[in-house]
Amino acid sequence: MAAQGMVTQSFRQAMAWLHTWFGLVLGFVLMAAFFFGALSVFDREIDRWAIPSTRFEPQPMPSYEQILRPAFERMQPTQQAIDAMRPRVDGPMPDHFDTVANWSAYTTHRDPVLALFAGFQVPGAKDPDEAIFALGTIDPRDGTALPDDRLKIGSGFFYPMHYSLTLDWKNLGFWIVGFSALVMLAALVSGVVMHRKFFRELFTFRPGKGGLRSVLDLHNLTGVVALPFHFFFAFTGLVIFSATYFFPVGHTQLHDLHDLHAATEANELGLPHQRAGVPAGLANVDAMVAEAQRRWAARDMAGDVGFLVLQHVGDANGYVSVYRAGTDRIALVGQGIHFKASTGELIREDPVATPVGKVAEFLTGLHLQHFRHWLLRWLYVLGGLLGAVCIATGFVFFVEKRKRQHAKQGSQGARIVDALAVTMITGMVAATLGILVANRLLPDDLPARGDWERYAFWGTWVLALLHAGLRSAPVARGLANPAWREQCGAIVVLAIAAVALNWITTGDHLLRTLGTGYWPVAGLDLALLATAAVAGATGLHLRRRAAATAAVEHPRREAAHA
Amino acid sequence: MHEASHAAWLLTAALLASIVGMAWLALAMPAHGQQVWGAPVSPAHARALRVLGAVALAVSLALCLASDHASMAALVWVMSLAGGAFATAMALAWRARWLALLAPWIGAADTAATR
Repeated sequence: MAAQGMVTQSFRQAMAWLHTWFGLVLGFVLMAAFFFGALSVFDREIDRWAIPSTRFEPQPMPSYEQILRPAFERMQPTQQAIDAMRPRVDGPMPDHFDTVANWSAYTTHRDPVLALFAGFQVPGAKDPDEAIFALGTIDPRDGTALPDDRLKIGSGFFYPMHYSLTLDWKNLGFWIVGFSALVMLAALVSGVVMHRKFFRELFTFRPGKGGLRSVLDLHNLTGVVALPFHFFFAFTGLVIFSATYFFPVGHTQLHDLHDLHAATEANELGLPHQRAGVPAGLANVDAMVAEAQRRWAARDMAGDVGFLVLQHVGDANGYVSVYRAGTDRIALVGQGIHFKASTGELIREDPVATPVGKVAEFLTGLHLQHFRHWLLRWLYVLGGLLGAVCIATGFVFFVEKRKRQHAKQGSQGARIVDALAVTMITGMVAATLGILVANRLLPDDLPARGDWERYAFWGTWVLALLHAGLRSAPVARGLANPAWREQCGAIVVLAIAAVALNWITTGDHLLRTLGTGYWPVAGLDLALLATAAVAGATGLHLRRRAAATAAVEHPRREAAHA
Repeated sequence: MHEASHAAWLLTAALLASIVGMAWLALAMPAHGQQVWGAPVSPAHARALRVLGAVALAVSLALCLASDHASMAALVWVMSLAGGAFATAMALAWRARWLALLAPWIGAADTAATR
């Protein structure tokens, strides 16, 4: 009995060690993954707030013949893309790219604008399979080209921040986030082992208890109530990137085998892998789309087109793939229907997935939430924010627990961690607001405007770090860092400034957006005001507590002097 | 249009059922009974509250299923449980007395007896 008790005890201690140190080191990454993940749930809405010319209602996939074809025909790679490709090509780069490898258009039920992609073959490319790409954005109502150099802050910045920290060098960001997700699964299991009174303390948060107790309560509460969410999102995040994390050999060690597999698969499916080299025309694509929609309806899943791809454009081997926007289900399924481009005859209808495939589709869809369900969308935001609070309170608990001890020993360790925690919690929110404020302040025609917006984000964050470090001296004496409440004040100012600037620069104030029911912009403004309210209340609370501590400290010091 | 507003009502009701269900489960627990009435509820009341809580959560699931197909409903329900538990915890932390309204048949007399 005693031996068994000892084993459990040391197991629990090992779990506590794992939870504390891995949580501390990788919590910084996970905090960003959770927070920006929560923002990504509304990435398209944030895009619309940030690019006022796109503030109109979401549109379905437009007609190919009337809207898409002229838009595709206009597309060419940018000079930047051509320069980037140059070292991987033997001989000179052409002035105009004529051989279209593929054209595609993608939309969701939340996209007012339409994203277009074009891939071109490059004569003399060292890897003949490598294509050069062009991106385009159009107004799907009339085909007008919209400027693409405007940063889509939601889908183009917060979303990649969520899974790669925008560290693109050698995919380093993907690997860091992926490793952190793996560790998070361990942190959840070890946390459950440590927190024995799991259900008995499910609802327990005692803000009045002060000090460590209330912080630990909130850490346990936010971890436990959304435990299925935390677990499934870390897990499905890994599933989505499993090809990158676990099986990158297909593209590295086994390149030839990978190519052979792709060719064999294409042969089996009847979807040609390569061009035939024989020019061919293109039948009516709108008719193919209508036929695809008829076939979906016959399978009792009527719906809009989400993704339209034209492969090997202008070649006898060309084909057109029509994929459904599965907004009515969790599972991310395309139900693709493929047509021969030159004649419009049906080549293939994707079969229903195998059971394993279905599980993968469900898990991917669960995480990527492409479906139409506003309540679930908001519940995901709640889950993401609960995760961020769970990690934030973990940091605070770590610091608070060691602060006084370190103060006695004269160590500076707690000071560093505390400054990093300030940077990660209030600083990250401030940086997020910084990019929104910059978005409304920078002139519309500024060259490389998106880069300036990114600088505003990182600049605000660096300022938050410097500020937190410079103000951290009291932590070494076991007191609170005033940077916490000062950055809460900065958040209030920035959040209100963002709402005010949106009003001034676009005229879309809350009375108007709420009056016309334009929720994407109204929602973001309301969220900003809510952020200001929470940060304001927190700042006031921290100031009152600091004043109370000072009142206790002051007489004590007087007494010591006397 | 009509269908969308119908679903919105069902989901609102499902969310409310989750919150109320979680609150009833919490009220059955000694620590939270103490917060709300100053003393834990009697064992008979605790049992009744637990049954009510479980029924409310089941009703929430049923409402989710009435609004969406099964896989979507399961996800909405699990997330609504998280929302309900968090809302209950916040209510207990800041405005515990308000939760007494969810069980008006339990008075101070019922809890005093157990002291």
